[in-house]
Amino acid sequence: EGTEAGEIVSCPDCSTNLEVTNVAPPVVQRAPEVEEDWGE
Amino acid sequence: MRIGLIYTLLSKENKLLQKEAAEKGITLERMVDSDFDLEITKSKKQDYDLIYQRSVSYTRSLWATQYFENEGVQVINTLNSQRLCGDKALTTQLLAKQGVKTPRTCVAFSEEKALEAIETLGYPCVIKPVVGSWARMVHRINDRHSAEALIEARREMGNPWQKIYYVQEYVNKPSRDIRAFLVGDEVIGAIYRHSEHWITNTARGGSVANCPVTDELRETVLSAGKILDPGIYGVDLMECEDGSLTVHEINHSVEFRNSIEPTGVNIPGRILDFLVSYAKR
Repeated sequence: EGTEAGEIVSCPDCSTNLEVTNVAPPVVQRAPEVEEDWGE
Repeated sequence: MRIGLIYTLLSKENKLLQKEAAEKGITLERMVDSDFDLEITKSKKQDYDLIYQRSVSYTRSLWATQYFENEGVQVINTLNSQRLCGDKALTTQLLAKQGVKTPRTCVAFSEEKALEAIETLGYPCVIKPVVGSWARMVHRINDRHSAEALIEARREMGNPWQKIYYVQEYVNKPSRDIRAFLVGDEVIGAIYRHSEHWITNTARGGSVANCPVTDELRETVLSAGKILDPGIYGVDLMECEDGSLTVHEINHSVEFRNSIEPTGVNIPGRILDFLVSYAKR
């Protein structure tokens, strides 16, 4: 609950990072790969 | 008041900011950077009082900020500050110029001179990419053999940034470093990041505890902040063997999800208060 489209969640089985592309119905896809210039 | 929030992914931090904004009755408009199609040759009126830039991509952040600043929008953090924070060599040089203690650092552009710099600093020392985060490509160099191996590995990388050799003295700190949160002209809180490994980023598994904001910590962080425009920063420090503090990095798109509980500070709330007051200037 409270999950929104665009959010990153972890697969409870394999810990793969997934991006929520739709909430109702729930659809996820593999999250974007971290790029070399990503960070704080 | 219309405040925009630019981001790449809807991270925990961005959700917390949205939640806090809703509770304060502030409209925080979502702006996903992957949706941008910015016609840079045609000026377009932008009705934002302020934009908070939280792209996780350094390059997207710079280009988007450049666009909105040129359209007359206040952006936190400014293009100037982002550029300084994102380039470790620039940050280090300006900190030293400001009189803020920072680890001794050399920059070289050839393999031969990089190895000379490493030998000058002595072993162990640390090599980092000038642009990078979450401790990626940060290596401790213990001897000549590992220095040569790392330099050779860099040679094989296509990115020209990897050919800027940023080499720094190793600071023999306790098994922790400090992250302080600078919001405007206030150090609102700080955490220790503990790890038995010499890299203490929470992204690499470091654990977190509250760090009291002493007068020394406050003064050091505020002094470091003087090299930047007013904004929202994560200032990273280490405790030297003589007890002094050294600033090794300043982050312009700060993560804070793991810092709210240990500090007891409503970090997203304090950020929003700053954004609103800054927008009203």
